[in-house]
Amino acid sequence: MKRHTPQENQSHQPEILLAENLHKSYGPRQALAGLSFSLKAGRILGFLGPNGAGKTTAIRILTTLLEPDSGRFVVNGIDSKYPQAIRRRIGVLPENLGFPRQITAVEYLTYFGQLYGRSAKDAKAYGLALLEEVGLEQRARSLVGTYSHGMKQRLGIARALVNAPVVAFLDEPTLGLDPRGQQELLSLIKRIVKERNVGVVLCSHALSEIDAICDDVVILMAGRVIASGTVIDVIKQTRQNAFRVQVPPPSLDKARRVLKALPSILDIALTDETTGWLRLELEDENRKVSTENHQINNKILGALVRAKIPVLSFGADGGRLQDVFLQLTEEEVK
Amino acid sequence: MNVKSRSLDYQDTLSGIAPPAWWLVFKRELSDLWIGGKAFNMILIYAILLGVMVYVYSFNTELSLIPPKEAVYEMLKNAMAFCMFVGLVIGADTLSGERERATLESLLLTPTSRRQIVIGKFLAGISSWPPAFIIVLPFLNVLSQGDEVLGPAILWGALTGTVLVLAYTALGMLVSFWSNSNKVSYFVSLGIFVLLLVPAELPGKSAGAAGQFLQWINPLAAVNHFLSKHLVNYRTLAEFWTWLISPVAFLIITCVLLFLFAGPTLRIEGGRPSKFWAKINRALGLSVILCILFSMTAFPALALQGEPPGGNLQISIDMSYGLVKTGDKVEFNTVVTNAGSSASPPLIVAMNIINLDASGDVVDPEDWSPQRTQYLEALGPGESAELAWIINTILEGDYMVYMVIIPAPESKETTSQPIASPGIHLTSHHTQGSTRKECFLMQLARRWLYY
Repeated sequence: MKRHTPQENQSHQPEILLAENLHKSYGPRQALAGLSFSLKAGRILGFLGPNGAGKTTAIRILTTLLEPDSGRFVVNGIDSKYPQAIRRRIGVLPENLGFPRQITAVEYLTYFGQLYGRSAKDAKAYGLALLEEVGLEQRARSLVGTYSHGMKQRLGIARALVNAPVVAFLDEPTLGLDPRGQQELLSLIKRIVKERNVGVVLCSHALSEIDAICDDVVILMAGRVIASGTVIDVIKQTRQNAFRVQVPPPSLDKARRVLKALPSILDIALTDETTGWLRLELEDENRKVSTENHQINNKILGALVRAKIPVLSFGADGGRLQDVFLQLTEEEVK
Repeated sequence: MNVKSRSLDYQDTLSGIAPPAWWLVFKRELSDLWIGGKAFNMILIYAILLGVMVYVYSFNTELSLIPPKEAVYEMLKNAMAFCMFVGLVIGADTLSGERERATLESLLLTPTSRRQIVIGKFLAGISSWPPAFIIVLPFLNVLSQGDEVLGPAILWGALTGTVLVLAYTALGMLVSFWSNSNKVSYFVSLGIFVLLLVPAELPGKSAGAAGQFLQWINPLAAVNHFLSKHLVNYRTLAEFWTWLISPVAFLIITCVLLFLFAGPTLRIEGGRPSKFWAKINRALGLSVILCILFSMTAFPALALQGEPPGGNLQISIDMSYGLVKTGDKVEFNTVVTNAGSSASPPLIVAMNIINLDASGDVVDPEDWSPQRTQYLEALGPGESAELAWIINTILEGDYMVYMVIIPAPESKETTSQPIASPGIHLTSHHTQGSTRKECFLMQLARRWLYY
């Protein structure tokens, strides 16, 4: 059997969600100003943006709860003019999903399965299978009111999958969960994407989550897309011409003197005195000198080692999604 | 079952296998209402209240004198009002409550039509009415004491109650549809309930055309009026069917608004779905405020106007006492005034004479006066009529003379409230040699002392 690389796999995947120039205003306030992106099957797209960026509006439009002022979107070939048909093809875990208290998990999923057109028997069987898939089979007949927050989130994911959707929208799925719960839920999402070949739009404020499990990312700011593409591409889009280096705090002055003597370094900034973090900005002459140039890495490390300064941590500044997000949103604010 | 093996395109092939969505929503809501305890608790409170009412009617010495048909009517009226309240409260929670509990969004994300969701919820909302009506039946039976009013009370109670409960539940759901929070929904719904209930408790018969119209247009007041006429006064349907127009129209309007306008546009957020509805909402809000202001100013006035017939009639006498010789003729005048804003019915003014001495003879007024009863035509607003009276003091003693105005009842089956005048304290005695002039002087002296 021929094995494909992830990149090769992606190129064969169909586009299951396509948003084109979506606009939405609430009175004079523009919530979305031309949102466009696409998602392929089997990929996870991270939806990022500060509060009020338009994420919730975008998700509500894409899940047919709101109508856009202009623009369109297509889900698995179905145009947004047919919201009912789209609802058959999407699954949603809203940010604050409420559950009836006096109902068991299997009854809950059976009810929604029937609303999607299944017979009672089929809906119940499928609900039980979903509960097994999300790890709730032991509590299938417990009242939902007795569930913990993490269990409710799992049940919410099961409910989002009750119609075997093509695209699933998960809005802050790990909100309020402990670190272990977060990890388990992210693993579950990854597994579901892999096994079902479903496309997932994941809204989250936890940039580490997006960084960890998303293939693509869309960063929104004031209703506009300020960056989009694969996570790697978006990180590359931003300026990465600086290093972060951590030395013991007593050695900070010595380290600054040593590094200042190096010809490639434009500026040295003390970012955190108590933990000993320095930010080294490099000269940028046609990007000959950059963080991707390994020679400069060695030069910096070599100079510090020769001066007998312990290097506690070293890496490119801006190489994480968090840095990209902060940089882009800061630029937008300016 | 292999979950993963399912085709992604199965969605389009499943339609028609499951029961209709409104039925599924109805069953789910029914379960929430009754197993969740909300409807059950309300019905329990309702049953207890009915029990207390029947107990009071049966054991309170004054209330136990109420004729069975009136007791049945009162019980039916109160039971219906409570059921409307329950329907309104359930309706008011239906959509805004789900918004607050964040359970509406997942329902709206299904391919179910919005209207079917609303229909299912509405049917569940009215589910408390059939058991509530069944519960009231034995109470009505007890109060009727075998009176033939029971049959019509059950029939018309079921019909009018169903119309009102359906309309009020739809009204509650409409308010809930437009409310973003449950607090607002409850507040507005209960405000409307009180606004419609208060005038229903005011008698509007003599409140003039405006009062009658308000009574007629208020569905609850109109039904109460119809039931009171039909059940208590044995008036026919042909005479009073017009009082059923407003409740039926109210039901049609609320249902059309709910199912044809609001239902299909049900959304995750209440309030303003569009600029058009924003304007409508503003207009509605303004109307509610105006209604509240109107009720605060107009209802007290109407309440005064709406006193029973005769409540606005006054009678004065130009004499408060008389010291006369037995055999003398006493002449005095009375003035009857209609102080109300509407015309009075024809009036009967009757004189009565009471012997104040417990051991004295009982007075036969016919022997004392040739004109014991006088009749007056209807008096217009502010109009007065003067009547002259003569009394022949045929016996010695201490007497009280007073007049009673009796507004003529509308029909053989109706009654009216008589109004009494101030009395004339008349003392008659044998006095040798006294003259009419002396008597008059004594009268003057007594009057002076009195004042």
